[in-house]
Amino acid sequence: MRLKTAARIALRELRGGLKGFRIFLACVVLGVAAIAAVGTVRSSIAEGLAREGATLLGGDVEIELTYRFATDEERAWMDARALSVSEIADFRSMAVHGETRSLTQIKAVDDAYPLVGALRLNPDIPIERALAGGDGLPGLVMHPMLAERLDATLGDSIRLGEKMFRLTALIEREPDTRTAGFGLGPRTIVKRADLEGAGLLQPGTLFSSLYRLDLPPGTDLAAVQKDAEAALEGSGMRWSDARNGAPGVAEFVDRLGAFLILVGLSGLAVGGVGIAAALRAYLAGKTKVIAVLRTLGADQHTVFACYFIQVGVLAGLGIVLGLALGVGVPVVLSPLLEARLPVPAVFAAYPTPMIEAAVYSALTVVVFTLWPLAQARRVRPAALYRDADARQVWPEPVFVLATMATVCVLIGGAAWFSGDTKLTLWTAGGIAGALALLALAGMGLQWLAARLRPRIRGRVALGWALSAIGGPGNTASAVVLSLGLGLAVLAAIGQIDRNLRDAIASDLPERAPSYFFVDIQRDQMPGFSARLDRDDAVSRVEAAPMLRGVITRINDRPAAEQAGDHWVLQGDRGVSYAAALPDRSTITAGTWWASDYTGPPLVSFAAEEAAEMGLRLGDTITVNILGRDITARVTSFRDVDFSTAGMGFIMIMNEAALVGAPHSFIATVYAEEDAETAILRDLSDQFPNITAIRVKDAVEQVSALLAGLASATAWGAAATLLTGFLVLIGAAAADQRARSYEAAILKTLGASRARILAGLSLRSGLLGAAAGAVALAAGIAGAWAVSRFIMQTDYDVVWGPALGIVAGGALISLLAGLAFAYGPISVRPARTLRARD
Amino acid sequence: MTDPVLSLRDAALALQGNAGLVRILEAITLDVHRGDTLGLVGPSGSGKSSLLMLMGGLEQATRGEVRALGQDLTAMNEDALARLRRDHIGVVFQSFHLIPTMTALENVATPLELAGRADAYDCATAELEAVGLSDRTGHYPSQLSGGEQQRVALARAVAPRPDILLADEPTGNLDSQTGTAIVDLLFDLQSRHGATLVLVTHDPALARRCARVVELRDGRANERGLRQTPAAAG
Repeated sequence: MRLKTAARIALRELRGGLKGFRIFLACVVLGVAAIAAVGTVRSSIAEGLAREGATLLGGDVEIELTYRFATDEERAWMDARALSVSEIADFRSMAVHGETRSLTQIKAVDDAYPLVGALRLNPDIPIERALAGGDGLPGLVMHPMLAERLDATLGDSIRLGEKMFRLTALIEREPDTRTAGFGLGPRTIVKRADLEGAGLLQPGTLFSSLYRLDLPPGTDLAAVQKDAEAALEGSGMRWSDARNGAPGVAEFVDRLGAFLILVGLSGLAVGGVGIAAALRAYLAGKTKVIAVLRTLGADQHTVFACYFIQVGVLAGLGIVLGLALGVGVPVVLSPLLEARLPVPAVFAAYPTPMIEAAVYSALTVVVFTLWPLAQARRVRPAALYRDADARQVWPEPVFVLATMATVCVLIGGAAWFSGDTKLTLWTAGGIAGALALLALAGMGLQWLAARLRPRIRGRVALGWALSAIGGPGNTASAVVLSLGLGLAVLAAIGQIDRNLRDAIASDLPERAPSYFFVDIQRDQMPGFSARLDRDDAVSRVEAAPMLRGVITRINDRPAAEQAGDHWVLQGDRGVSYAAALPDRSTITAGTWWASDYTGPPLVSFAAEEAAEMGLRLGDTITVNILGRDITARVTSFRDVDFSTAGMGFIMIMNEAALVGAPHSFIATVYAEEDAETAILRDLSDQFPNITAIRVKDAVEQVSALLAGLASATAWGAAATLLTGFLVLIGAAAADQRARSYEAAILKTLGASRARILAGLSLRSGLLGAAAGAVALAAGIAGAWAVSRFIMQTDYDVVWGPALGIVAGGALISLLAGLAFAYGPISVRPARTLRARD
Repeated sequence: MTDPVLSLRDAALALQGNAGLVRILEAITLDVHRGDTLGLVGPSGSGKSSLLMLMGGLEQATRGEVRALGQDLTAMNEDALARLRRDHIGVVFQSFHLIPTMTALENVATPLELAGRADAYDCATAELEAVGLSDRTGHYPSQLSGGEQQRVALARAVAPRPDILLADEPTGNLDSQTGTAIVDLLFDLQSRHGATLVLVTHDPALARRCARVVELRDGRANERGLRQTPAAAG
């Protein structure tokens, strides 16, 4: 009955329109839309990856072996289960056109390729015809970017290793590309059989062999995987199947999506500040109405229910509009997005992101409205004739507890949806900490303005601005809270991004080598060293034998049991051997073996990684190299500095343990930049099979990826900032009456419109700049922590973007303030003052 | 006789309301001379406060002429009117209208600062002392009682030593004891500084303290007669 009455009163109140609730609605809509949009894109990509799983994989199943082909037994196992099998060799090499050479990722295919999906070429010819070649040379197709780098056109001759090929087509779309374009060398596809005589794929060459299996329809992939793991145990194979065709990309998209949604939550938190402010302003205007209702016999519950229902109706409306916007925009823009995304995506309205966005928003609205609603229910009838009774009171403990409980549910929900409790808790802690810091900063700003005001004498506009910031009823905290969070995230991103770029641009090249050369055969080493030794521009050359292996067991137990999901266990790692401790290496524990040691295998392990994995001296490590398990005892730990991009091996074994295995050498060359081209030309002409990787290219690739991440995060922060701007607009609108009133008094006292405008502008600008300064301090602190502890780079404040943040804060606040300056300036004093009488 | 400091000729004010044009004042013709004390009386809604607002340039007449110190207010823009008030007119309101974000001292100093006075704060301190509020200079309006707020408003109005002092029901929101004290202060300040005082009041006793009383009824003015003010008599 009471609820019914409350609902009736609520609906009557809502008849008055949404005027007081525009900012409330805008904050809800924007918060929901941002989260729903990120979620929708994430789900669309996940769906695209799932649907295209087999195509991306190139078959129902892919078995990958590291620089060896399958044995007859292994191949027989595959042939027995698959309708057809395609064998591919995947490796890096140099493509040479005339005097121009470039790194490329070669896919050497068989006749069965592509098993699933279609390769689209330009000109549109079948792969068989393209690879057949012409004029006596076998065919080759390549990515347009590679052709551009080589300055090659269709029909040109391209050298791979020691063999010439004819460029017959460019690759427009490669179906089985799981790396979403990440990779150092653009793709070249040739027939494996045509590589005979090229000098590539020699024993010890770093390559992967990929076996794509087309299984009979309805095959239980999990069962086949189990079968394979048993039958091919110890082969070092890596299994992928169509259930998750592009695990790396899927995981990357999923993690980035989860992170961006958490950034979106910070936007929702800022929106919550606006929601609370809008509701507070609305309820302040309703004080007399509530007092009348209380006089007429409405109890506290009825009053609470009446306004809670109004909030619920409006939040529901906001959520529906936000979902329509957040889901609608990606779906409408899907043709554009699909063309730009490097991965397949199926854009549609997915329920999970919609539910996620709606739940987040509803809970946020509850968190930020319970408090003002609880205060409103305590308005007493005496408020009708005594302003003192209309003052805000502390809500009852049950509402404080309910607010805290809702916060916990919100964080729990975020952890569940994101699937990353640690990241969620850090983000929640970060948001709560940032809001608390900003609220404190707002109060500090008021205090400072109040203290400065008496010192500012004779400057009316500045004095008025400081009075408005430091005096009673000011909006300093609201402005700092609204702008602070978005600006702080932007400041942190700007600082981290620039520091990282600076580290890469200025610091790394000083210490990093010019080139990595791989696939150098043992008999090529003397000639290789001779070319470099006589070059004055070469300051240093380091070379070491290089094999790759997967750590399968530690102390004869599965490696994961000892070290969990440590990155060293993810895939294969470089392994070297040496008789003596290499130059620039330091033993941190244990001892190096005697140079003539020929006993059971021993291994020296990277110290930091060993500590993370819980390894001790004397432990045994089993490494699968070329399908053979080698178990070695750990006899020492070494310092390995991976930050210099120089040569660093996680594992170095004694010579006798590996020297018999087919392998090649890897070399790092430190040379002056001017000499790099000549070195590359001479070495690749003399040794066509070796592959050069230019470190600068690799660094640029990583930089581009980091820039993309920074850009995605910046967009998330921009959404937060936009919400902050809306909240500011709301605060400015709510404040307009007070400012108009003050302006009317000032006009009465003789202030010109220019002076009033100057005062308003100064007030908004100072508040915004202060919010920017606080955000900058928070951003710098965050950036320092990330740079120091996560990126492990030096940190210097980058003042350009930093000042931009302060100026940006001032500008945004100024714009929001000026949007509402017309009223106070144009107002006729008599009307405003009499309206207050 | 000297030129009037305030002069209205056939002045009218009409405002656009929701129900159409509302005629607030009709054909007001009135002169107020230097040192005069003029009481504006009449029932609620008769246009007293509107007439006061016309005299202060806070409202623009829709017809006729309004002159203050020889300047035609109807021909001046907002900024020129503001400058005129800054230099020559002080206004006291029923609802005090202090700037809520400023302390008592800052409120009083503001018109002096606007006039570019270097001694704005010294003068403001002296004015607050004169109205008995030397211990309240750092208080915000919300921390002051109604009587104290009105004393601050009075100090603010007289601080620039205006030629014309306009008071709109200055005791309307105060109890009778405080009201009497404020009125005494108002007339004391007026007589000490020789300003022309125009005040709107419902209080017959207060009206009687004025040398002249003009009664407004339905927007039209009717002068009741002249009284000798103590200042004029002295």
